[in-house]
Amino acid sequence: MSDTATARSEGDERTITGKAIRLEGVTKRYPGQQRPAVDGVTLEIPAGQVVMLVGPSGCGKTTTLKMINRLIEPTEGRIVLGEEDVTDIDGDDLRRRIGYVIQAGGLFPHMTVAQNIAIVPKMLGWDDARVKERTTELLDLVSLDPDTYRDRYPKELSGGQQQRVGVARALAADPPVLLMDEPFGAVDPITRQRLQDELIRIQHELRKTIVIVTHDFDEAVKLGDWIVVFREGAHIAQYDTPERILAEPADEFVESFIGSGAGLKQLGLQRVRDVDLAEAVTARPGDSAADALARAEAAGHGHVVVVDERDRPLSWPSRRALQRMTSIPEAADPKTPVVGSGATLNDALDEMLVSSAGAALVTGHRGAFVGVITVEVVMAAISAVRAAASDAMAGAPVGTNASDPAARGSDG
Amino acid sequence: MSYETDGVGNNMGEFVTGRVGEIAFASVQHLSLVAQSLVIATVLGVGIAALVYRNATFSAVANGVTAIGLTIPAFALIGLMVAPLGFGVTPAVVVVVFYAVLPILRNAVVGLAGVDQAVVESARGIGMSRFRTFWRVELPIAWPVILSGVRISGQMVMGIAAVAAFVLGPGLGGLIFQGLSRMGGAGSIESIVTAVVGVIVLALVLDLALLAIGRLTTPKGIRV
Amino acid sequence: MAEALASPTDLAPTRRAWRPLVVQVVAILAAAAALVIWLLTADLSPVERETLNARSLLQLIGQHLWLTVVGTVIVLAIAVPLGVLLTRGPMRRFAGGVLAVANFGQAAPAVGLIVLIAAAPFLPDGFWAAIIALVIYAALPVLGNTMVGIRGVDQRLVEAGRGMGMTAPAVLFRVELPLAVPVMLSGVRTALVLLVGTAALASFINGGGLGLLITTGVNLYELRVLVTGALLTALLALLIDWAGRVVEHVARPKGM
Repeated sequence: MSDTATARSEGDERTITGKAIRLEGVTKRYPGQQRPAVDGVTLEIPAGQVVMLVGPSGCGKTTTLKMINRLIEPTEGRIVLGEEDVTDIDGDDLRRRIGYVIQAGGLFPHMTVAQNIAIVPKMLGWDDARVKERTTELLDLVSLDPDTYRDRYPKELSGGQQQRVGVARALAADPPVLLMDEPFGAVDPITRQRLQDELIRIQHELRKTIVIVTHDFDEAVKLGDWIVVFREGAHIAQYDTPERILAEPADEFVESFIGSGAGLKQLGLQRVRDVDLAEAVTARPGDSAADALARAEAAGHGHVVVVDERDRPLSWPSRRALQRMTSIPEAADPKTPVVGSGATLNDALDEMLVSSAGAALVTGHRGAFVGVITVEVVMAAISAVRAAASDAMAGAPVGTNASDPAARGSDG
Repeated sequence: MSYETDGVGNNMGEFVTGRVGEIAFASVQHLSLVAQSLVIATVLGVGIAALVYRNATFSAVANGVTAIGLTIPAFALIGLMVAPLGFGVTPAVVVVVFYAVLPILRNAVVGLAGVDQAVVESARGIGMSRFRTFWRVELPIAWPVILSGVRISGQMVMGIAAVAAFVLGPGLGGLIFQGLSRMGGAGSIESIVTAVVGVIVLALVLDLALLAIGRLTTPKGIRV
Repeated sequence: MAEALASPTDLAPTRRAWRPLVVQVVAILAAAAALVIWLLTADLSPVERETLNARSLLQLIGQHLWLTVVGTVIVLAIAVPLGVLLTRGPMRRFAGGVLAVANFGQAAPAVGLIVLIAAAPFLPDGFWAAIIALVIYAALPVLGNTMVGIRGVDQRLVEAGRGMGMTAPAVLFRVELPLAVPVMLSGVRTALVLLVGTAALASFINGGGLGLLITTGVNLYELRVLVTGALLTALLALLIDWAGRVVEHVARPKGM
C-alpha cells in the first residue's frame, strides 16, 4: 500500500479490475402491491468504484442491489455489466461472476472455511490445486492465517472473522463486481471499524466495482466513492460524492437523512494518507538515550518515536522522559496513539482525544511507522474539504428514476 | 375408500342406526377412560415434575424415563400388564395413565424449568412461601406448556385406549375386535369403520375441549 | 488478529455425548440376556416349548424387523420427497393441507387402521395390509420433520447460496438438506419407534411379528409366552431407537 497521498476516487496507478454496472429503468413490482418496490431506477456504477446505497428501511435499496445479480428478477428494465446486457442470461451463471456478501458472512455452518471459499471455484470447474492455492491467497488477503483457519468451521470463528471469510468467499473466483448487503451490520462497533478499514485496504489493492447497501450514513461516507440516497420506492434523492452530499444535500430529505453534525462527518471523508504528515525523530530499543535526545533537540521535536526492527512504533517518549533514561527501552507502550494510513481523519481525531496527545503516529504497510498526524492538520483539512466540496463535480455518473420528470431533464 | 360403495354405504347407515345405543355407550366409555386418565396423568406428571425440575440430574432421569416409556410399544405393555393385573378395566387404566403421564411430565419439566428465575426470586422476595410461589407463580406461567403436553397425551392415548380393548378394556376398541373376530362376516367392516371414525371424532372433540380449557385456565397476561 | 478469538470447540463426538448411548445398549443387551436365561432355565410346558424355542423366536423377530424395515423404506421414499416438494416455491400453499391429512392419519387408532385395511375389500391383507397401515401411521413425523427441518434453515444461507450462483438443486442438496439432517433424522427415529411398535399389531391380521406371542399368550392365557412377547417387543423397540440415536449422532453434519 502506498503511504503517499493518493486521490481516493480516480487516477490511481493500480489497474482497475472491476467492471461498470448500468441499471436502465429497472423496476420491481410485487403482485398485489400498488406502488412498485423499485420504480424505474437508472443508475451508472463506474468501474472500480465503491458505490453505497443508503436510505431508510423499506426504501428499496436492498431490492435494487439484489436485482443487480438478479436474486430478485426485475419486472422491467435492463441490467448491463461492463458491455454485456445480462438481463436475460442464466441467473446462476451471472451470480457466479458476481461476488455476494451478506450480513454476518452467511457462511455455511456445515462446511469448513476452505470448503466455503471453494464453492464458486469448484462450480466453475477449477482443479483442486488451483482452488487450494486461491484459498491460501484469499485468507492472506483478508488477514487470516491460512494454516490456522483453513480447516475451521464457522462456529469456531468470531463474528468479524466470519465476515472476513465471507468477503474471501465472495472474491474466490476473482469476480469484477462485489455486492454487499449490510455487510457489517452484525458486528460490534470496534470490529466494524476494523472490517471497514480492511475493506478499504483490500479495495485499494484490487480495485473492484463494489456496491454496498447500508443504513449507516457514516459507513457510507467512510467507504463510498459515491453515495446513492434513496427514498421510498428506490427514488434516488441524490447520487453524488460523499463530500458533495454533506456539503450540498439535494433536499430536506437528504439533509434529514444525513442528520446533524454534517461538518464533523466530513472528517470521515478524508484519509490520513491524504494529508501532510509531520516527520519525526526515530530511535530503536537499545540506542543511547542521550544520542536520541540530542537528535530531537537538533530537529526541534518534543518527542522521539521508538520503533522495532520492522519499523513498527513501540513507544513515543518525550524529551523530558528521555532525560531520565540511559538507553531506549524495549517495552511497547500500549497508550501510544497509533492510526493506520487508511484510517479516516475522524478515526485519527478519536485516537488523539483518547490518548490526549494532540497528535498520533501513522503506520503504513505492515504497520511500519510513516509519520505523525497532528490536530492542526486535521483542523486544516476540515476547512479545506468544506471549501472544495462546493466546487462543481464534473463527470458524475447518472442516477435517476425514469418516472421522475424533474430528474429526467438531467438524464444524459 | 373402497368400502364406500352404495351397498356398503347403506349397510353403514343400517349398522349405525341399528346399534346407536351400543356405539354411544362405547364412545362415552372411551372418552371417559381417556379423560379420567388424563386428569390422573396431569396430577402425576405435574407432581413428579415439581419434585425434579430444580435438580439437573433428576430432570435428566425424568427425561430419560419419558423417552424410554414412549419407545415401548403400547401393545407390549398391555400384554405385560395382563400378567399381574389380569383382564378388564384395571390394566387398561394403568396403561393409558402410564402413556398419558409421559408427554405431560416432559412438558412440565420444560415449562417449569423455563420460568424466569427473576420472577421466582421476586416472588420469594415479597415473602411468598416456596409452595405459594410454585402454586401462584411458577405453575400458572408454565401452564400453557404443560397444557400442550396434555393435548399431545390426549391424542396419543385415544389410540392406546383402543388397543387396550384387546385385554377387555372399555371403549370403542371393542368394536374393532368384534369386527376382527367376525372378519368377512356381516357388519364386520361397518363395526371397524365406526370405531375408527369414532376414535378420530372423539380425539377431535377432546382436543377442542382441551383448547377451551386452555383458554379458560391460562392467565390473560401470557395468552398468545 | 486483535479480535477475540473464538475458541476452537472440540467437534469430535465427546465421550460425554456417547455415554447415554452406551448405557442404553448395555441395558438392552443385559435385559435380553436375562430374558434368554429365564427362558432357558424355566420349566416350560409343551405349548410354550413350541413357541418359545430359539428358531421360532428368531423367525418372529425377523418378521418384525422386516415389517419395520419395509415400512421405513416406503415411508422415507414417500415422505422425504413429498416434504421437500412442499417446501418448494408454489407447492408451499399445499403444505397445510397435506400436513392436516397426515395428522389425520396419525389420529386414527393404529389397531383400527390395521384391521380396517385387512378387512376392506380390494385391499391386501396380511403383510401388505400391515405395511399400508404402518406407512399411513408413520409418515407424519418424517414428512413434518423434513418440512420443519428445511424451513428451519436460515433463509440468509439459502440466499447466500443463490447469490453465489448455486443452482436451486445445488442449494437444496448442498445447503438445505445437509442442514436439515438433524431434524429430519429425529423424525425418522420417531417414525421407526412408531413402526416397530405398530408392527406388533400386525399379528392380528396374520402379518407376523412378535405381536403373535402377545396375542397367543392372551388367547391361550400362557403368561410366559405373553411376557416373552411383550419384553422382546419392547427390547426390539428400544434397540431400534438406540440404532436411530447412533445414526443421528454419526450423521450430524460437522461444524454444527
